[in-house]
Amino acid sequence: MANTESLRLGRIGWGFLPIVVTAAILAVLPSVWFGDSPYTTSLAVQALVFASYGVGFNLIFGSTNQLFLCVGALAGVGGYGAAILTDQTSLPMAAGVIVGTASAAIVGGLLSWVSVRRSLGIIFTGIVTLVFSLAFANLLLGQRELTGSETGLIVTGVPSDLGDDRVGGYYLFAGLLVAFLIVFRTLQHSHFGWAFRGLRDNEVAAELAGVNVSRYRIYAATIGSAMIGLTGALLAYSAGFISPTTYSFDRVDVRVLVFVAFGGLGTLLGPVIGAGVFAVLDEQLTASLELREVLYGVFVIAIFLGFRRGVVHAVVALFDRLVGSRRRAQPDLQPSRE
Amino acid sequence: MRAVILDGMVLGLAFGLLGVGMTLVYGLGGVINLAYGQIVVLAAIVISLVMEDGVATVLAALVGVLAAAGVAVLLDLTLMRAVYRQHGEERTLMGLLLTLGAAFVIGGLLIWRYPAGALYINVSGEPVSILGVPMAAGSIWASIVALAVGFVLLLFFGATTFGRAVRSVIQDETGARLVGVNPSFVRTVIFALSGALAGIVAITQSMSGPLTVNAGFELTTFALIVTVVGGLGSVAGAFLAGVLLGIVNSLSAHYIGQYITTIILLGAAAITILIRPRGLLGR
Repeated sequence: MANTESLRLGRIGWGFLPIVVTAAILAVLPSVWFGDSPYTTSLAVQALVFASYGVGFNLIFGSTNQLFLCVGALAGVGGYGAAILTDQTSLPMAAGVIVGTASAAIVGGLLSWVSVRRSLGIIFTGIVTLVFSLAFANLLLGQRELTGSETGLIVTGVPSDLGDDRVGGYYLFAGLLVAFLIVFRTLQHSHFGWAFRGLRDNEVAAELAGVNVSRYRIYAATIGSAMIGLTGALLAYSAGFISPTTYSFDRVDVRVLVFVAFGGLGTLLGPVIGAGVFAVLDEQLTASLELREVLYGVFVIAIFLGFRRGVVHAVVALFDRLVGSRRRAQPDLQPSRE
Repeated sequence: MRAVILDGMVLGLAFGLLGVGMTLVYGLGGVINLAYGQIVVLAAIVISLVMEDGVATVLAALVGVLAAAGVAVLLDLTLMRAVYRQHGEERTLMGLLLTLGAAFVIGGLLIWRYPAGALYINVSGEPVSILGVPMAAGSIWASIVALAVGFVLLLFFGATTFGRAVRSVIQDETGARLVGVNPSFVRTVIFALSGALAGIVAITQSMSGPLTVNAGFELTTFALIVTVVGGLGSVAGAFLAGVLLGIVNSLSAHYIGQYITTIILLGAAAITILIRPRGLLGR
């Protein structure tokens, strides 16, 4: 009995290994690669921000099949919530971050509650959240006194070492990403993960087995939205300036959807790998924005026609095939030993 | 007041025409074609290029409609074949993502190649007085085209054998296969029809103002809203929803303000989904 317990703990420990490796890579990356180049640092910060959005989106869509096409809007709720609060009152940055995060979590939870209550499928959840995104973008443009409309809003109350082109911002978002990954993996190992797997594989069967599918959906949406809102709020302070384009649908949602799908929906490192690959791609394709869009399109099509389950799954499958004989032998041996 | 409502109806018929092409494809297998707006833009650019060569407008418009139908068929024969191999939500999701990719490719190429591309078809003629309200000739023509298209479509689905075959696939794919209807052929034809409708949208939209190369996303959004409100797969529903939304749009633009109007339209779509997910006339 003690043996199985330690085995279980051991497996959980191994589960966190990818996060430790990611954290180590992120920690040494500035010194070995871009050093003090402001341009590369800002690219890396952007990749980290997107990876953080991706983890939140992955928790909502990858784990519980709710197509939230409002990542940008949720980040905007966090960012504008925080920025407007510190702009209108003299509260410190921490208050803004907390309020922004909480607002995003509430909005995301409500959207999920509505779609669960009305049992909307993937598509209608997608359309409702898309409609929310567009309405939010219009609201930003309309509420000129609060948001500054297209001209944007200068964020006040920013600590001086948090600028976008400094390594401070990089470490902030690297830490944030690692924290999100830990939360994600912890959830996977708890009863949440068990429910997530159940409802993704067969919702009806999960419901019959006693999993409260609706409740886990709402939980996942609330936690994921809080992640997205927190990232959006911190981005507002780190960039020092936000405008509707910072959180627009075509700048945020489309990218997040594409690179999370590229990395692998529902996987731990999928969003990180996807964001990294797309950051490099962006750097190579600075010449033409339109051609970049074309390439995105080709990428999306190739991903969903070819390896539909993403890079992580493809690599794992390849790895399984290479060391397949040995790995497959192990589970057969274990039960007989006990 | 009368003028506002008439304006709304003109706009609504344009909305309805925009929604029809998307709703047909959705009804026929659960694919929301997110590249629809880009196909409209493609048709507009083709027409404007042909017109620049001095070809008569009517002929150029025909070329544009054929080009849009051709691109739609190409989409169906390449990407959509893989999509239709899936079933249920998997199919819808894959259709959504692949057409999103196609939207990027088509839209990106057009904006890259023709950054200032736009189509404006100038309809000459005196404003016509309807119920004492003067209406621009372009709007009148656009509305007549929309009504005619709606009428022809209803006739096609109601009274022809092929139209009934299409409806049988909409209702029950397996059943249709059992009685000898080939769903994949029917879908190719409907994709072509949807493309042709996109071409017609390009023509009518550019009669009242220039249709620019980057209008694709907005057109897709409005088509999606009309489709959802009207009921996925329903031709009459798309026109009914279009006219209702058009009237709501011009009333609120006139009495409340333009920026609130978009939010009201979006809210109408959201409320329809929540109260009646099948849409006004959906089954």
